[in-house]
Amino acid sequence: MKVRRAISTAVAVIIAVIITAAVVGGIAYYAALVTAPAPTPVTKTVTVTQTVTKTVTASPSPSPTTTPTKPKPVIKEVLIGLVEPLTGAHAVFGQEAKMAAELMVDIINKELGGIKSLGGAKLKLVVEDCGESPETGKLAAEKLVSQYHPPIMVGAYISRITAGVAEVTEREKVILVMDALVDELTEKGWKYVFRVAPKASAHGKSAADFVIDMAKKKGVKVESAVVMNEDSIFGRYVANGAVIELKKAGIKILDHLEYPYDISDATPLVSKVKELNPDIVISVPYFHDGVLIAKTVAQMGFKPMFIAGAGACGYTDPDSIKAAGKAVEWYTNTYSYNPARPTEWNKKVVSMFKERYGKLPTEAGGIIFYSMMVVKEALEKAGEMFPDDPLNPDHLREAFLALDLNDKNSIAAQLYPTGRIKFAPNGDNVYAGTAVLQVIKGEPRVVWPDAEPGLEPIFPRPDWPGK
Amino acid sequence: MIDPAYVTQILINGVLMGLLYSLVALGLALIFGVMDIINFAHGDFVMLGAYLTFLIATYFLIDPTVTIALTVPLFFLLGIAVYKAIIKPVLGAEPLIQIAVTVGLLMFLRNLALAIFHAEPRGVPYTVFSTPITIGPITIPLSRAAAGAVSLAVLYIVHLLLTRTRWGIAVRATADDREAAALMGINVERVYYTTFGLGTALTALAAALIMTFSRADPYLGLLYGLLSWVIVAMGGLGGVVGVLASGLILGIIESFGMSLISAGARELFLYVTFLVVLWVRPRGLFGRR
Repeated sequence: MKVRRAISTAVAVIIAVIITAAVVGGIAYYAALVTAPAPTPVTKTVTVTQTVTKTVTASPSPSPTTTPTKPKPVIKEVLIGLVEPLTGAHAVFGQEAKMAAELMVDIINKELGGIKSLGGAKLKLVVEDCGESPETGKLAAEKLVSQYHPPIMVGAYISRITAGVAEVTEREKVILVMDALVDELTEKGWKYVFRVAPKASAHGKSAADFVIDMAKKKGVKVESAVVMNEDSIFGRYVANGAVIELKKAGIKILDHLEYPYDISDATPLVSKVKELNPDIVISVPYFHDGVLIAKTVAQMGFKPMFIAGAGACGYTDPDSIKAAGKAVEWYTNTYSYNPARPTEWNKKVVSMFKERYGKLPTEAGGIIFYSMMVVKEALEKAGEMFPDDPLNPDHLREAFLALDLNDKNSIAAQLYPTGRIKFAPNGDNVYAGTAVLQVIKGEPRVVWPDAEPGLEPIFPRPDWPGK
Repeated sequence: MIDPAYVTQILINGVLMGLLYSLVALGLALIFGVMDIINFAHGDFVMLGAYLTFLIATYFLIDPTVTIALTVPLFFLLGIAVYKAIIKPVLGAEPLIQIAVTVGLLMFLRNLALAIFHAEPRGVPYTVFSTPITIGPITIPLSRAAAGAVSLAVLYIVHLLLTRTRWGIAVRATADDREAAALMGINVERVYYTTFGLGTALTALAAALIMTFSRADPYLGLLYGLLSWVIVAMGGLGGVVGVLASGLILGIIESFGMSLISAGARELFLYVTFLVVLWVRPRGLFGRR
């Protein structure tokens, strides 16, 4: 009997091992398939031999006859701190931001000859990982400040981490160019923060503007709308931006629904929207709920005039399209960057990025493209306005505020969806706006405000039965 | 005045989802009822099943519901393996140790999914159950109707298994008194591993149904695990009927709450219901002991 038991235990253990191996192996095989050859991240070890932005004062003149003049600083290098989530849950964004920043620094230094007004000073990137939380973000910022004290920092994509970073940069009087979108960040009275990217509410506003603009072009009348969002602070800001813009246009908001993004079932939600029967729906999803909502809308046969997404998460990203298939056809979403914008420099930067890293830039990289170029423009301006002390934080702030960029006078604006950049005193871009992507035949395509060549937004939804 | 058709719609939504919730919780109820062990990783088996459904369905380009032919037997074996490897050594051990073991399994599965699939949702972009059934003003997504019908059928089958077969009698006897059952000649060990296997296999079935309308993500386990626990605790040890009743109650309350009050307070409705039920009947709706 003992032998039999031993055999059966052995068999069970073997089966267990085989099944576990098969499951893990299968999953790993799949993972190997999906994670296509990832570009090897360029890890640069930054040696701590340099001091702060090098200011070499002219040596005292040996000749006693010259009149004493104030020594003019010679700046050879301007350090730019980059704080991004390079590890953890948000690493995908941080890694791409780092790639984009490295590319832009190379373009600025090599192709554009550095900062001309500072005698061709070169930019040098110092990078720090801000991890996953506001605390680690703060630590990263502290580390950069104590080691290098860069005059300008860029980061940190995730809004709550950025808030942690900003606490340090404000205290240390370091300019922070934020690539995070929650409105709040520019509402705290911080003095040294700037944000080129469209904030959350600008995403909602753009989604509404897109629908209103298309309805006008196609001669259909939009009278009512339902706005719904996942109930994070970001989702709420985006949705509020849409609500305000729709109300301004005289469109009746039948309801504004909020829900947790990890809902298991969207039928109660979609049933409700269907019952309200609005002309259009503006939806601010996260990724998971986006798939669920799109599938439920299709499976419940709900056919409104249009469903516009906002907030750059879900519906039109490749993973959501893969997961939801036909259900997300004709859905749109708003993005902080337009890789298809047909300006000279945008085309050039996109192709250089593609050549260097083997993939198209997404939003995380795109925001860095124009943010870094704005940093360059601001440094140029500071050199012109304050030749004696261009890197003083208050002088830099004034230089940022003095910028008024458009497609003709700057590269930065050519990379920006609306083609215009000018900062309000709170640090936000007055001309903030997004690009709209639409799923057309299973592919995300840029359709608004500058559509890809030969492409037109599909509006209203072709399956809309009409009023 | 709320449209009666809309109320009917909400009720149907709730009933269908409640049936599916019952199916998800059934495996946990079986395991807990028989072995007195709290399997915290239950929801994460659902998550694992969802990913497996996704992988198989998209690899062979088959409907997510067809994958059960593979996933259910596989999960039955996986359940037995997990039982033999992890659960058996801690049976009868301190509750704290049992909790540590199953929570460890939960963390392992969740982080495995995060490492491999990252946080992006994965879904099967097609299913034969993609059209709605329309009866007058009421719309029922076929996927949800199918999920509800299959859940009900499986609940009934498991009920029959427990009440009409020798195996079922052995299971119930073991649940009532392990030592007495062993003395009566029941192979308790076999009862345990078959129950654990069945409980795990049911999660694969539920996962396939979920994948007809939803998606897989690493945190799916959190969603269904917690819900299963509430259902089992609410149902008391009332077997299949208790699970069905609690699942339906939660599904209907969730649907009405989300539709008529606030979609944002979904979990509030679920857990307030849970607390109220346990306050009124501390041993659950069908508590015996």
